This record gives sequence, C-alpha cells and structure tokens, in this order.
Amino acid sequence: MMSMKRGRLLTLIVVACLVSGLIMTGCSKPPAGNDASNQPQAQEKVLVLGYDRDAETLNHIKTSWYSDALIYIYDRLVSRDYNFNYKPGLAESWDTSEDGLTWTFHLRKGVKFHDGKPFTAEDVKFTIDTIKNPDTASPFAGDLAAINEVVVKDDHTVDIILDYPFPNLLFNLSNTAAGIVNKEAYEKYGDEYGSKYVVGTGPYIFQEWVKGDKIVLVKNPEYNWGPEWMSNRGPALIDKIVLRTIPEENSRLMELETGGVHILRNVPAAFVEKLENNAEIEIVKGSATKLGYLAYACDKKPFTDVRVRRAINHAINREEIIQYVFRGVGQPAYGYLPPALQDEYYQDSEKDAYKYDPDKAKQLLAEAGFAGGLKLTLSSDNSTENSRLAQVLQNQLKQVGIDVEIQLYDSSSYTAMLKEGKQELFIRLYSWPNADILDWFLLSSQSPYPNHSRWVDNKTDEMLTKAARMATWEERAEEYKKAQKYLIEQAVWCPIYVPDNLIAVRKEVKNFKYHPWMLQYNDGFDLEVK
Amino acid sequence: MGVQALLKYIIKKIVTMIPVLVCITVIVFLILHLAPGDPVDLIVGPNVTPEVYENIRNKLGLDQPLTVQYFKFMSNLLRGDLGTSILQQRPVSEIIIERFPVTLELGLSALIISFAIALPAGIIAAVNRNSWPDYACMSGALVGMSMPTFWFGILLMYFFAYKMRLFPISGYGTLRHLVLPAFAMGLTDAAVTARMVRSSMLEVIRQDYIRTARSKGLAEKVVINQHALKNALIPIVTLLGLRMGWLLGGSVILENVFSRPGLGRLIVDSILARDYPVVQGAMIVLTASIMAGNILADILYAVVDPRIKYN
Repeated sequence: MMSMKRGRLLTLIVVACLVSGLIMTGCSKPPAGNDASNQPQAQEKVLVLGYDRDAETLNHIKTSWYSDALIYIYDRLVSRDYNFNYKPGLAESWDTSEDGLTWTFHLRKGVKFHDGKPFTAEDVKFTIDTIKNPDTASPFAGDLAAINEVVVKDDHTVDIILDYPFPNLLFNLSNTAAGIVNKEAYEKYGDEYGSKYVVGTGPYIFQEWVKGDKIVLVKNPEYNWGPEWMSNRGPALIDKIVLRTIPEENSRLMELETGGVHILRNVPAAFVEKLENNAEIEIVKGSATKLGYLAYACDKKPFTDVRVRRAINHAINREEIIQYVFRGVGQPAYGYLPPALQDEYYQDSEKDAYKYDPDKAKQLLAEAGFAGGLKLTLSSDNSTENSRLAQVLQNQLKQVGIDVEIQLYDSSSYTAMLKEGKQELFIRLYSWPNADILDWFLLSSQSPYPNHSRWVDNKTDEMLTKAARMATWEERAEEYKKAQKYLIEQAVWCPIYVPDNLIAVRKEVKNFKYHPWMLQYNDGFDLEVK
Repeated sequence: MGVQALLKYIIKKIVTMIPVLVCITVIVFLILHLAPGDPVDLIVGPNVTPEVYENIRNKLGLDQPLTVQYFKFMSNLLRGDLGTSILQQRPVSEIIIERFPVTLELGLSALIISFAIALPAGIIAAVNRNSWPDYACMSGALVGMSMPTFWFGILLMYFFAYKMRLFPISGYGTLRHLVLPAFAMGLTDAAVTARMVRSSMLEVIRQDYIRTARSKGLAEKVVINQHALKNALIPIVTLLGLRMGWLLGGSVILENVFSRPGLGRLIVDSILARDYPVVQGAMIVLTASIMAGNILADILYAVVDPRIKYN
C-alpha cells in the first residue's frame, strides 16, 4: 500500500518534470534562421544595433514611431546628405513650375523592389495617395496637406500638383515617413503588411521580426541606386543588420561593452566618461536637431505679461545646467531652432536673446508688479534627466524670487495634463530637423495642443504662414528667421539647451560616418569579423 | 476519492470563475480608460492635424461613450476576439500567443531550479535541525529571500555575462539566453520554498507515526525518505498550482533586465502606451491562467491526499 502511494507521487513529479521539459524545449527551440543571426558563420558581417524600444509596425504610413529599420528597407524620392542638403534619391531630378505649384519628378530607371517588381511612377502615386487618404488616418497626412494631386505622366515621370507654394515639400519627401511602398505588395498583404511582410527598394531587405526582441535585415545584392553623395552607391558591405530591443539602459551598455551590440544611439551623458575610457569604444558626438526648453502657459497670469516671460529667460543659467545636468555635453540654446539646421536657423539668436542676469530678472518682475515674488508649478515628465533639470530650474528660479513646486508625470499622463491645460511652467524637448516645428508648436490653430504654450498671436500666425508658403526654399528660410527674431522678442519660450547626439561605436565598425538624421550603414560602413 | 465528485467540483469551480472574470474585465477596463493619457497621442505624435486625430479616434471607437466601448469589447470577447492592438495594429491574440511561451519558458525553468534546490536543502535543514547544515541552509535562504529578484539578476549578469563572458548579457532565443534569468528567478524562489519544506518536514517528524517507525528500528534514511518526506510534500505539491501567478507574472522586471520579449514586458509597455486592447487581453489571459492554477491546486490536493473529499 505504502509503496503504491509512493509510486503515484513519484510518477506525478516525473510527469510534471517531463511536461515542463517538453514545453520548454518546444519554446526554446528558436525559429529557423534565428540561430544564424545570433551566431554568425565565419565571414558573415552582422552589424548589431541596440535600441530602447521596438518598432510598433514597419508600415511607416500608419505609425509615428519610425524604427530605424525603415531607413534601410525603403528609399525616398529625395535624400538628405551629410550636410542636410536635399539631393536626388529615387527621383533623379525634379523641376518646379514658375508659380511653384507643379513639381515634376524624374524617376530613376532600373530600380527594383525586393520582390523583383520594377519601381514606377504608379508606386509613387500610390504611396502619396494612401498617405493622404482620410481612411488610412496616416499621421503623416498633415505634412502632405499642400499636395492636391499626383499625376502619373509616364512610367518614370510624375507631377505633384500643389494647392499653394510649399518649398518644404523636399523635406517632407525625404522623411522616413515618405518611403516609397510597392503598390502590389501593399495591397496584396493588407493588414499583414508591416508586421509579416515589408517590401521596399532600399539597401536592406526585411528578413525577420521577433517582436520585442529583434528585427533582422539582410543586404540587397541588387542595390545599385544609392544617392550620388554616397561613396558606395552599390550593395552594402555589411551583410546583415540586427536591430535589437534592450529596454534596460544598463543592459544596453553592458551589451555594447561586451560586443553584443556594435552601435548605440542616444547614449546618456552620464555614461560618456566611462565609455570614453574604453579603448574598444568610440563616442561620436554631433550637434542634434533637438531643442530643450522651459515653456509656460502664455494665456495665464502672470505669463500674459512679456516682462515676466523675459524675467524667466534672464533667470536661467544655461551653462550651469549643461554642466550639472548634462555633464558638459551639449550647447546652451537661445533661439527657437537647433543651430544644426544651418539654412533655417536665425544666426543672431544668441545676440538678441536674454542672457543670464538675475538682477535684471528681479527688476523686470518688480516692474510687472511681482516684487514680492511668485508661486508657480513646474511640470515635467519623470525621466531622469528632466527631473534633474526641474530641480536645477527650481533652484535658479528661487534666486529671483520665483518659488516653484515640481510636478512629475509619466509620459502619457504628461501629454494628457498638457491637453487639459493645467500647466504653468513646464519642460519640453523636441526633436525635429525642420523649421516647420514652429508651425506645430506656435500657430494659434494648434492651441491648446500641440501648442501647449497656448501662444495665440496674430502676428506669429501671419509670419509663420507666410514663411511656409514662400516660393523657394531660400525665401522661406528668410521668413522663418524673421519669425524666430520675433519669438525671441516676445520670449514665448525659454530655450535652454541643444543636446549633442551621442553615438557609441565599437572599434570593429569601420568607416563610421556621422549623419545628423539618418545613419547610412550602406554608405561604405564595414565590419571587422573575427 | 470519487472521480465524479471531483469532476462535479471542477465544473462548479469553472462556473464560479465566470463572474470573477467579468469583474476583472470591468476593473481593468475602467482603470485603464479613466487613467489620464490617450493612445492616439502615441500613434500620431504631436505633428498631426486635428482632423487626422479625430479620424483615428473615430476609427478606434475611442470617441464613443465608455459603456458602449465596454459592451463592444465584451461582445467581441464572447466571440473569442480580444480585439486589435492600437499601436501594433495586429490582433491582440496573435501578440499574446507570441509572448506567452517566452514567459512560460522562464517561469517553468525557474520552478524546476527552485524545487531542485529547495527540496534537498529543506530536508537537510529539517533533519539536522539546529546544527550547522540547518544554519547554513537557512541563512542561505534568508539571503535569497531578502534579495530582490531583479537585483540578483543584475548581479548574475554582471559576474557571469559581463565579467566572465560565459553567457550573453541579454536577449532571447537560445538555452544560453535562458540560464541567467532562470537562475535569478529560481534561486530567489528556492529560498522561500526551502523554508516551507523545512517547516513542513519538521512538523511531520514530530508526529507519532515517525516515532513509531523509529522505535521499530527502521533505518533513519527509510524513516525520512519513506515515511516523513511523502507526507511533508503534500502542502508543497499542492502549492504548485498556486504558483501559476508567480510563474507568469513574477518575471516582469527580469524580462526588462534581460530584454526577454515576454508577457510581463508586453503588459508594462502597453500600459505606458495606453494600448487598451493589449492590456485588457493580457490581463484576461493572466487571470484565467491563475484561476486554472487554483483549480489545478485543488486537483493535486485530492490526488496526493486521499483524505480530501469534494462535495
């Protein structure tokens, strides 16, 4: 009797172990092809990139979170070289009618999609029409609002007809969001496009996506239509790119140090010193097209008074912030655009702006009737850097008699709070390589969100609208400069810093070239393999 | 034990599960939708016209009253449809099926490691009560219990992957990727289990029938292995079923530290992005699994202890 019961118990345990063992082997068996990407065969060059966040979908028409994979899978009509100049991409050349309303694009011949279908004007029309179709609800639709119609002239010529002159078209067509899709494939795969199937003309072909883990791209051996400004216009030298998602910052850095990852973008400033001491890693720094600023609800008291806004600008010691919050990495900001946007940036921003001058700040506050000081709230998202920035700002504002109470939010709640309009002082950082960011944040029609400064001003509207609709890129840039000058005068924001792009690159990567917006791994980048 | 009685009991249990599940859907739904934040912001970013924004809200049905949204969600659920992810724009069930095995794999291997260590340690401690092996095992257990799993995971990663380079730092796919997180989760859990085994064993050793076994001259080994252990294990084995929640939900932070694309990470990411359908779907699957675990515990209990009757 005893032994029988014992036997039953034993069997139970054994069965439990077996079942779990079976499930485990079932689970841990990697899908075919997966193993190869982790343990490359000799000579295969596999470049591994680390990211904090996975793509949501690889259908760029339906997302606003653009995975870097999209840069390499797709080509765009227009490309942007290392100095932010607009250069031919899938379009060999383009010309504009005299009224600036008709843009004719001459398309490159002999380009093929990854599935073998030749690239034609139909694909261009399809891509733009799909983005603009209200049923698609593409986040990018607004950027192409100026386009009235796309007309296919022949297989390799396409006319883009505009409602009003819009020189920024070149920028929009060179964006990740404007990658040209394959009409046939896009229609054929329907809802599965972007997750199981992705077809472009780019230097890398989509191979596999293990959601939450990695995206694997293999090189396109037929690629020979790289833009003219690239030293390598043919197939990439690196055979495979693996984009890994590693959410923990520390794990990402350890992966980089042990060689599990070759390149990390957006390295936190706090780690720079440690990595710079590592002989296997180089830190590439470049000015980013980002701007961190302190903003305030301009329609609320006391911010309705320009003297208060200027006082806040005078109260902020930007050098100190860069030193203590960003460990010396980055530049103080005085204007409303990042200086990396060479054409559009107002060069006299610093000269016109409000220097650190606490006495002047106090005086302005007194003039505005706040000699006794002010009590305000300062909101921020709860990221490490921004919460530290909030504390330093709190301290600096206290010096001029402004007492602030800090309120931290997770990013979703932060957006919701701004939409509700509860903010007084608040911290923001934008990342965008074009002057049209000012339209988004400061036009009256965008208030209360995304114009969360609640800046409603006719003159600003006039200036920005005029700038956007100038006939040429140069005239447009001039008008945007005037607008920036005016914004400085009005102290609509308090610009604080332009962060540096910090890219950590392992020494196995050869020919690394910094690009301010899209790293071009097919442009002669090479990888040393053991 | 009557098989029929047990079956009847299980069916009864399953029926009572339904209202609990419905309650869970209401709670999860309300908490998510009443929390500030809007998933559409994450899809579109700030650079979007109000028309597109409204268009997307309308497509997702987010512009309808909460009650309408809830009943739509429930009627889809009853047809076995968990909905479509707002951000990934794919069926939620597909997303969960991808993630579930990743979490299960880690949970089960941790469980095996935990029991493989806790059983011998607990028995040795109990048999040698108040002597050095007992102290050694129990102080080890105390250390393991006091250490947060994620911290232990980082330590293992630091020494075995970063310093000694024996394992990959993070990632998923091969057995080598599994070793460190499984040990991090398994060892910390072994601490708790070992203490349970020890106390349960001690209780049994004090029983009269053990004294009888000893006094009739049986070898100590036989007394422990055949008489004591079997009965001491009853509460431990039944706890296996209740471990279901820990198995699936206990590795959330570890999944982040070791970048494993599991269910826990999916839930956390989706909560932060307010991807309502994914959070709802994942919570329902998680709740249902935990309930299934409870039923399993009841069954195990009946299997290992013939004194239990179900009515």
